Amino acid sequence: MAMRDLITGGAACAVPGSSSSSNPMGALANKLLGSSSKAQELTGLPGTSVTVPSSSQGFSPEGPLSMIPGSEFENQQYRQPGSQSSQFLSGFHSAEHGGLEEAWNEVRQPPFLPPPIQGRESQAHFQEFEQIYDRGANSNFQPAWDGPPQRVLSSFLHSFVESGRAGVPFRPAALPVLGLSKGDKQCIRDRSYIMARHMFADKSEEYIHSQVNALLHSLDIDGDERVRGPLHGTMPEFEEYWTESQASRPGMTPGADSWISEFSQHRQENGDPEAWANSFEKIHGANGWASEFEQEQLQMTSVGQMDRAQMLNIEAMEQTRMLAHTLAQNSDPKIQNSKFLQFVSKMSRGELIVDDNQIKPAIGSSGDWAEEYQTQYNAGPDAWANEFAREEVSRGAETWVNEYANEHQETADQWVKDFSRLEVDDWADEFGKQLGEGVMGDRSTENWADSYDSFLGEQQKSDSSKGIYVFSDLNPYVGHADPMKEGHELFRKGLLSEAVLALEAEVLKNPENAEAWRLLGITHAENDDDQQAISSMLRAQEADPRNLEVLLALGVSHTNELEQASALKYLHGWLQNHPKYGSLTSPEQMESLYYADVARLFNEAAQMSPDDADIHIVLGVLYNLSREYDKAIASFKTALKLKPRDYSLWNKLGATQANSVQSADAILAYQQALDLKPNYVRAWANMGISFANQGLYEESIRYYVKALAMNPKADNAWQYLRISLSCASRNDMFDACDSRNLDLLQKEFPL
Amino acid sequence: MADLTSGSGLKSAALLEQMRLHMETDAGKELTKKVGLVYQLNISPKKIGQNEEIYVVDLKKGEVTKGPYEGRPDVTFSFVDSDFLAVGTGKLNPQMAFLRGAMKIKGSITAAQKFTPDIFPKPSKL
Repeated sequence: MAMRDLITGGAACAVPGSSSSSNPMGALANKLLGSSSKAQELTGLPGTSVTVPSSSQGFSPEGPLSMIPGSEFENQQYRQPGSQSSQFLSGFHSAEHGGLEEAWNEVRQPPFLPPPIQGRESQAHFQEFEQIYDRGANSNFQPAWDGPPQRVLSSFLHSFVESGRAGVPFRPAALPVLGLSKGDKQCIRDRSYIMARHMFADKSEEYIHSQVNALLHSLDIDGDERVRGPLHGTMPEFEEYWTESQASRPGMTPGADSWISEFSQHRQENGDPEAWANSFEKIHGANGWASEFEQEQLQMTSVGQMDRAQMLNIEAMEQTRMLAHTLAQNSDPKIQNSKFLQFVSKMSRGELIVDDNQIKPAIGSSGDWAEEYQTQYNAGPDAWANEFAREEVSRGAETWVNEYANEHQETADQWVKDFSRLEVDDWADEFGKQLGEGVMGDRSTENWADSYDSFLGEQQKSDSSKGIYVFSDLNPYVGHADPMKEGHELFRKGLLSEAVLALEAEVLKNPENAEAWRLLGITHAENDDDQQAISSMLRAQEADPRNLEVLLALGVSHTNELEQASALKYLHGWLQNHPKYGSLTSPEQMESLYYADVARLFNEAAQMSPDDADIHIVLGVLYNLSREYDKAIASFKTALKLKPRDYSLWNKLGATQANSVQSADAILAYQQALDLKPNYVRAWANMGISFANQGLYEESIRYYVKALAMNPKADNAWQYLRISLSCASRNDMFDACDSRNLDLLQKEFPL
Repeated sequence: MADLTSGSGLKSAALLEQMRLHMETDAGKELTKKVGLVYQLNISPKKIGQNEEIYVVDLKKGEVTKGPYEGRPDVTFSFVDSDFLAVGTGKLNPQMAFLRGAMKIKGSITAAQKFTPDIFPKPSKL
């Protein structure tokens, strides 16, 4: 419906020569509505052994490097005198050229050595080439073109566009030699693919291929070369994403090479290039990681070409599409019929858009789902979208690798493990290094970074305004008779992650239950998740604006997040709402809070009632804010004399000591906290930090692992664990860390 | 208020202050042996290059100071406040930060590659 219009309209928008992503909406839509997987279509074809026209011209021995993707980039930049070659690059430049070339050729030309296993791939090649050559054979009767090369080219391209509009298959023409440079060719190749996708959005992928190939053939451009990735023929989506990203990001290819060569090595060892692709596809759908990747691309390329709202919509659609996909694969009828899934799939089809933080039907009304959703969740319909976005951003591109590694733990294939070691991270590292070289030599890299900056800046604004609670999916406590009581019980037993679920079920049922939100916030804080703690506490505060515990918790969490102004606001709020000390404050002070004033007020309060542990606790937090650690430690110690069994107080003392580099003392304090509350994830994680800050990395690893075993969602601890592993030279455990394999980690690092 | 954070609205200042204290510990001294480089950090609240505050993490001498380095630092990094914090706490790997344009580098790339999350102490949580 609307999507179709967008795409067909896309032809008009896609001005030749404009940047590749001028209509990413169209491209995206094409992907959404595009033809079914080529691999599937091809399974039905009979196996034939065909002599395929040679496509190896590009890899003649004279110029192997010149044809390797990204080599243009390399020649410009990496041979500068004085440039520091990274390890990767030196490997790349060493005598490996022959090997790389071979590997590349092999990846791209399976038909030359068609073992039975590669049958499907050769068919893919066959189809394409046959089409090209069928048309190529007829091309002689076309009128000759003359004039300056520029005009010939432009009129030729126009004729291509015209034929597309008219719906007539494009006829190749015999053109004079145009003297196109390599860069021109690549540019034309990439853009024609993108244009063709806009124009022939309703046609099959095969048709687009043949059309563009006809065009490229006439221009003496090797159309097939656009496929830079190793997966030719098996997963068309990958190619698409790859090509689109290539068009707009000149710097990307070098990093990809190592990927390719590694891949082809594995291929040689294993001989079955499709097995993993297929199984991966089965598990994640063809679009899984590619769409994540694509999303990243979209974000990068669309800077300055779309307005922000549009972009958000596309992002949201991308994300919801993935979500819908994941949900749709769950065979549970409950999920299949859920309103949420319907909502998500509508979102992903573009029938709903997020506009100015309101969800609206894109065109016409798509029913009253939004209302239902709102009453059901009451968190505001935009909440989940934002949350989901955040989740995605924070988990980043590594997710698929991790998931993939997880899924395949059992399989015997050695290479699967090796492949999972090839994390996106490494790839990014390489790319970063290469770009690093670029900064010195190439202005355009810097410009590119600049434009992304401005985008990033905008994104951060929306990120900082988050504070939106992220619910767990598949909560077993939804539908529980009394989740509040259950949550209380679980919290008391110290089963924090379970308590979170039960309390979430409660606040889903009773969104105005301030106590449930508060306890949820406390639980998250003890579970070492301050973002979620803040979000919960904000909801608690909404429901009960004067609750002292809530105000203090907000002050503490903001202190932990180093957000001084917010922390100060809540701590002052605590004093203001305190029945005893409220009189010390005056309302006008709320306008401009100065640290010194607030500190003075608290000191007055402490003098009023020196036996009130709470006032010393707040003072301690306040001194943390100003980094007067000695005073903070003194305040907490005073409070502990009054409340020796307050485990969170022991942790506060420990954290303060740790931050003022008294790590050894800190560990004693944490130990007290853990004696009182053995499942106190925050204290375990803090222990790890203290050991790490003392350079005792092996110990720190054990504590991080212990914390993570209790709350696998503690992202900070995962990050710290990885750092400690690296410092302890336990790179062999990176896999386990990245795939979040707690069983293995616990076995390796018992406590 | 303590040295580095006074007069600064940056969250990074808190981390750098902790770094300053950290330099006095054994683990901190170890860093000067291991890294032995001088990093200058230009940190801006919102947009790189605007209202920068300049800090020097001198892993030769084992000091963290405010204000530009006298002489030539091995590398100068430019960050937005939150990105520096993310890098310093291991949320964002420096290569990725660079890749995204969230970190700018001037100086030796080899030196820049030693700028990793593990040189920073981790803040403990109350």
